Amino acid sequence: MKMCIACGMPMKVQKDFAMGDETKDYCIYCTRPDGAMQSYEEKLQSMTGFIIKTQGLDKNVAQNAAKGMMAKLPAWKV
Amino acid sequence: MKESQRQKQKIQTRKHILDAALNQLAKDGLTTTRTSDIAIAAKVSHGTVFAHFSTREILLDAVIEEFGIRITKRLHELVNSNCGMKEVLEAHLKGIREYEAFYTRLVSEERLLPESARNSLIMIQSAISFHLIQIAEREMEDCKISRMPIDLLFNTWVGLIHYYLINGDMFAPGESVLERYSERLVEHYMNLIKLN
Repeated sequence: MKMCIACGMPMKVQKDFAMGDETKDYCIYCTRPDGAMQSYEEKLQSMTGFIIKTQGLDKNVAQNAAKGMMAKLPAWKV
Repeated sequence: MKESQRQKQKIQTRKHILDAALNQLAKDGLTTTRTSDIAIAAKVSHGTVFAHFSTREILLDAVIEEFGIRITKRLHELVNSNCGMKEVLEAHLKGIREYEAFYTRLVSEERLLPESARNSLIMIQSAISFHLIQIAEREMEDCKISRMPIDLLFNTWVGLIHYYLINGDMFAPGESVLERYSERLVEHYMNLIKLN
């Protein structure tokens, strides 16, 4: 199973992929309306929001966790 | 050809060390397991462990990440977008049940772990929560379950299961807590959230 290079989500079915295109390496949640992959800043903001929405954690804790995790993902690895 | 065989061997050894580490950490604890014991369990030299994972922290991180990938993939496999709240809770427990000892250590020792390991756990829990929330939001719309803040819906659920897991010695000494209580915990939680 392919995993999104920008957020790590497993992409199981066609609709999980950006624009439903299974050749893409990133998922529907990491895609801009025009089909391009989100920028680092956009992804950091959305991943921080994702952590807060799903677990209600403190904003700084959530942002720090998002930064830490993004550093390990292929799209953002330095 | 020779190079690719070597590469294949390297990947297999890495996976083998991760599997052994997962078992050893579950047995001896995430903060106290020695890398030398992981090497013995994996039947490799101590040096081989460090050839693949340069520090203990990097190894621990890799094990937690591997666990996260397995448990979220399992949840993906067990549920589909049409399943109900009860089914997703059952699938969540079934996934944890396969790594119960490791998961219990992970949540019990969380505050003692390095920051990167804690961050990995945060991401694992968010990924799981996301699955639950997608179904919960649909069931709230359909008036099948009560409307409530979705972070609290998830936290109440994990709070309940973590309490049982962390105190497993009191709830199910010497046996699997989830084997014994899964059905009852799902039933109870559903009674709390469902609308008549």
